[in-house]
Amino acid sequence: MGGYAGQILYIDLSSGRIEKKPLDMNFARKYIGGLGFGTQIYLDLIKDNPEFDALSEDNPFVLMTGPLTGLKMDGVARWAVGTKSPLTGFWGDANVGGYFGARLKFAGYDGIVITGKAEKPSYIFINDDVVEIRDAQKYWGKDIYETTDELSADLKSESAKPGQVVCIGPAGEQLITFASIINNKRHAAGRTGMGAVWGSKNLKAIYASGSGNIEISDPDKLKVLKEELKTVYEESIFIDAIHASGTPAHLDVGIISGDIPIKNWQMTEWDDIDDIGPGSIEDKIFAGHKTCYGCSVACKKDAEVKDGPYKMDKGPSPEYETVGTFGTMCLNKNIESIAKANDICNRYGIDTITCGATIAFAIDCFENGLINETDTEGIKLTWGNSEAIVEMCEKIAKKEGFGALLAEGSAKAALKIGKNASDFLTTVKGLEAPMHDPRNAHGYGLAYGISPRGACHEASLDFPVEGGSMYIPEIEELAVDIEEMSSDGKAILNVACQDYGMFFSSCAIFCNLGATPLNATQALSMVNYVTGFDYTLEEIINIGKRVWYLKRGLTNFFGARAKDDMLPKRLMTEMKDGPTEGSVPDMEKMLSEFYELRGFNKDGVPKKEVLEGIGLTTLAGLIYNN
Amino acid sequence: MGMFKTTEKLEEVLGGFFKLMADTPVIADKLLKSKLVIRFSYTDPDLVVVVDCSGEKIDVRPHDTDSKAIVEMSMSSDIAHRFWFGMVNLTKALTRKEMIAKGPIPKVLKLLPAIKPSYAMYPKYLDENGFEQYNITKAYKPPTA
Repeated sequence: MGGYAGQILYIDLSSGRIEKKPLDMNFARKYIGGLGFGTQIYLDLIKDNPEFDALSEDNPFVLMTGPLTGLKMDGVARWAVGTKSPLTGFWGDANVGGYFGARLKFAGYDGIVITGKAEKPSYIFINDDVVEIRDAQKYWGKDIYETTDELSADLKSESAKPGQVVCIGPAGEQLITFASIINNKRHAAGRTGMGAVWGSKNLKAIYASGSGNIEISDPDKLKVLKEELKTVYEESIFIDAIHASGTPAHLDVGIISGDIPIKNWQMTEWDDIDDIGPGSIEDKIFAGHKTCYGCSVACKKDAEVKDGPYKMDKGPSPEYETVGTFGTMCLNKNIESIAKANDICNRYGIDTITCGATIAFAIDCFENGLINETDTEGIKLTWGNSEAIVEMCEKIAKKEGFGALLAEGSAKAALKIGKNASDFLTTVKGLEAPMHDPRNAHGYGLAYGISPRGACHEASLDFPVEGGSMYIPEIEELAVDIEEMSSDGKAILNVACQDYGMFFSSCAIFCNLGATPLNATQALSMVNYVTGFDYTLEEIINIGKRVWYLKRGLTNFFGARAKDDMLPKRLMTEMKDGPTEGSVPDMEKMLSEFYELRGFNKDGVPKKEVLEGIGLTTLAGLIYNN
Repeated sequence: MGMFKTTEKLEEVLGGFFKLMADTPVIADKLLKSKLVIRFSYTDPDLVVVVDCSGEKIDVRPHDTDSKAIVEMSMSSDIAHRFWFGMVNLTKALTRKEMIAKGPIPKVLKLLPAIKPSYAMYPKYLDENGFEQYNITKAYKPPTA
């Protein structure tokens, strides 16, 4: 069999025990990889001791690659992590590109399962067969960039091939609940606080280096497919756009349809949008193209601010979501300040979506008189105040002053601020919504509502399919003509986007950007040619369905119910003008249809017989016997 | 059969609107900065229009199939018509090949915020120039006999 490295590492930080377990090919066939593996392993680990806090040593952490990770092809460099989220208290996961996944597989491992808690700050060293838990006190307290540089330099002589570092920054060490883990200074597993879980385990970093390679089961067929895909990629406008401008290319397109939330979701039009759009980024901060392992799309960019108050060295440029949260959401038209805020988040290791959206929430509170300069220690948190936004970002990252309150995320901050602060929230299940407005495409609303990890545009393929960048003609529900500003047909669309999406972005793990041009036949063929399996479309959809129910079921087991599937008031408020004028998703209708299609009870929980019917008997037992 | 019955009517409506945009500084000034020459090729009915932003003023040239364009855009005339109402999901139209674009597309995408005011202008333009029957916005009420 090709594609797989053949082993999974089990590392218990409490005891120091390290086990290398061979990958069972029946297991691989059944779950494909990525969070197909990860969710099942996680469930098996917690089933006998399921009650724990996300930041306790009882919370396992899974890091998994897919069968394609490490191959020199577009859009397959990704790997995934999952655990109980300290931000939401529900199932949390994140999907990330970069180089680490490839290196881990070259070392001979498809994934790592981390349990327990180290006595002191530690890192995991992996160099082919050598796997060790080592002292990380030297690196504790250092930021992501310093840790990456120093660990790489310190360990260079110990491995024949260059290694890759994935680490947490001071935010993860301080258990900020939206701390991220970051590979190579820019590739972040950003959402739902994965970095805080590492911090709680005293795990600073993993270094992986390997000298192996990945076998391909049918290289001749894969070669033909790669030739076919050359034309597909050359003709893709989407790829052309993200290669040129990165994900911020969406600022030009999204402003037309009303997709971009502005002023904490109170506006959809803004005359100053060009000041932070792709043109301004190119003119003012662009400093080069970057990419992930083996991917020619190169949608990552470098930025540099050479002087002025937001001076920053050359480093990762803000992605679309970051320009949204620190820019449009805060009415901040200074692109250099957005680059600086992004730099702070990357160095300290925090999620730019939650951080920026939480600052926008705080500005709303300030402007509405719920907090004042005494609360913020003199910082004027007003719309468009670039200096204040950057200053507050740093205070959050350092957990200082008012920043310490916001470092709990906007949902918990609202509870402490009190009064009507919750009116300004943009969270679902405690996770701040990304920068795509459901009033512009109603299916996004349902996708945010029922996502196992909270408001998220990557938790299924609804965003690329309904948004239009992805077209899957082989699946009837995904090939229909979609009317964006309508709630009709969005439940069935979401179901199909979840099932296929779990295969595509959670198990196989294709990149939702770099692999966007692939149709189902191409994606499925790629997996089959690499692994040697003979999956059918029906089979992978069923595998995806099972993974989706498993994620959702874990979130239900951790306490989520139907009330947690609702959108916040801000996202449900009708716009009086602009492209989405008068358009609000009909959540009641969509949720009702969705619950019916998925076999949920009125509490928003999959019925016992539904879970048992797809082989999730253990999960059904956890949910219904506890 | 599309919304426009003849090439002449399509040229009258869309060509006229392009000329209006060319004379509207808030749009034209930004388009001129791009220096792009875009050829629109419409079908059902067929029409070719070149919008030349390379000079000091925008030059709109219907039926120009000869001059060299930097960007080529092909689509049905109905899609083009709906686009100017802001009713076309551009990403989806390009992905599903309802619109085919060739050339430096990122440069074209950067023009989208610049042409945004045209969406409000188009229905008004139709109403004010005797093309009310082509106004498909919800606000449009067809004249009663």
